Amino acid sequence: MRTFSLKKAGLCLMVMAGLATMTAPAANAQDVTTGSATATILAVLSVTATQALNFGNVYQGVAKTQDETSDANSGIFTITGAAAANISCYFQLPEFVALANGSDRMTITFSSTDATFSVLDAAAPSTPSAPGLGATLNTNPRNLTGTAIGAGGTSQIFLGGKVIPSVNQTAGAYSADIVLTVAYLGT
Amino acid sequence: MITTTTTPPTSTRRARWGFLFSLVTVLALTGNLAAGVLVAPTVVLLSDKNRTARLEINNPGTTPQEVTIAFAYGLPESDSIGNVRVALQNTNVTDPRSAMEWVKAFPRQMVIPPNGSQVIRFVVNPPKGLADGEYWARVVVRSKESEQTIPKPSEEGSITTKLNMIMQTAIMLKYRTGTLNSLVAITGSEAVKTDSTVVVTMDMENRGNVSYVGVLTCRLLDTNKKEISRTQTDLAVYRQLKRRMELPLNGVTSRCSVEVSLTTEGRTDLAPEDVIPGNKVFSTVEVDQGNR
Repeated sequence: MRTFSLKKAGLCLMVMAGLATMTAPAANAQDVTTGSATATILAVLSVTATQALNFGNVYQGVAKTQDETSDANSGIFTITGAAAANISCYFQLPEFVALANGSDRMTITFSSTDATFSVLDAAAPSTPSAPGLGATLNTNPRNLTGTAIGAGGTSQIFLGGKVIPSVNQTAGAYSADIVLTVAYLGT
Repeated sequence: MITTTTTPPTSTRRARWGFLFSLVTVLALTGNLAAGVLVAPTVVLLSDKNRTARLEINNPGTTPQEVTIAFAYGLPESDSIGNVRVALQNTNVTDPRSAMEWVKAFPRQMVIPPNGSQVIRFVVNPPKGLADGEYWARVVVRSKESEQTIPKPSEEGSITTKLNMIMQTAIMLKYRTGTLNSLVAITGSEAVKTDSTVVVTMDMENRGNVSYVGVLTCRLLDTNKKEISRTQTDLAVYRQLKRRMELPLNGVTSRCSVEVSLTTEGRTDLAPEDVIPGNKVFSTVEVDQGNR
């Protein structure tokens, strides 16, 4: 692993501290500076869940669809890495959400148009409702192809879905896992 | 073939700093919201001379992250039209180039606090008598928030859902032994004109004993060999690979050709000493004028 010199790391610390001052509350300035450990690393790959897919309250017998274009409720994944690098993105999506005690479960579906892949960078962040010109709209979350990190070093995936409660669905809080796996194709 | 350490050119260093600046900006802008971890480097390299390596995982977010490390096997594979993806295989791996069974990671489970980091160490214990070349595995770094809370229904008798977002990064691990040879060939190519682009597909085959890690460049040329457009991508050829590239015609209607080049030089995302220098391949493809 290659490391930057102390002088360069110091410069990077100043850059990070400056950004922290501009973009985060004062209490977080220290946090960002502490994150300088990442500045010693040549190349990184990061996948983050910026927002969980949220269906809000659901009622017995009434299916509810959450569109991937919803700024407030779509699932948002952010991928950060080497600019323009080709990546493989693979979703493992649940077929059911279940109560914690396992006593009941509810169908959840993802259609072949429930995802958007956006490549705008952090300087002009995209949103589910405005994913930008370079975005691949209404694509299949189970078969994401041609995915790459944006020129600015980041890409985003917006995900929608549908839950289908039965007429006698037990009231309560249901949960399941959505797994996104990302790999570089060029290494 | 033995790699040598060289000082990166200024343009390479600039590119790295540009990338770092972008990354820092992204983290600064998303750090308060995001749940996930940062993994580096993007390739873990081991060899018969250096049987240990490390990976650093950083949690830039504001909540603790539960992280697990696992091994899988998966090479970049292409479909019939040149889309490439990595399909991970966790069990029943029969490829003799798999290193999955003889590499270990420490630790394999951890909780990383906000702004904390953890070093993962790898130790390889290869079987005796391995043929020269490269052996591969994927390090799967799985992260999720360590405190999962399910929202309570805001109305009595109603239903709520909580979808736990779990992130996995699959990092390539390579073990190198003996004499290394990086060699690739273009075994087929096609260029077809559409309304506004030329679509180039290339079949490549690895003929060495290591992954061919390099840069693929396509230049669209007019009849006077003047460049109309170009596109470039990093790639890694492990066995066979088909790649599809699109080149804008930029309004040109006359006959044209595509010049294709493959080289292991010019990778700005990898340390030069980590790239095995390989052969350079040049090819020219005449563009089929028919619409598709």
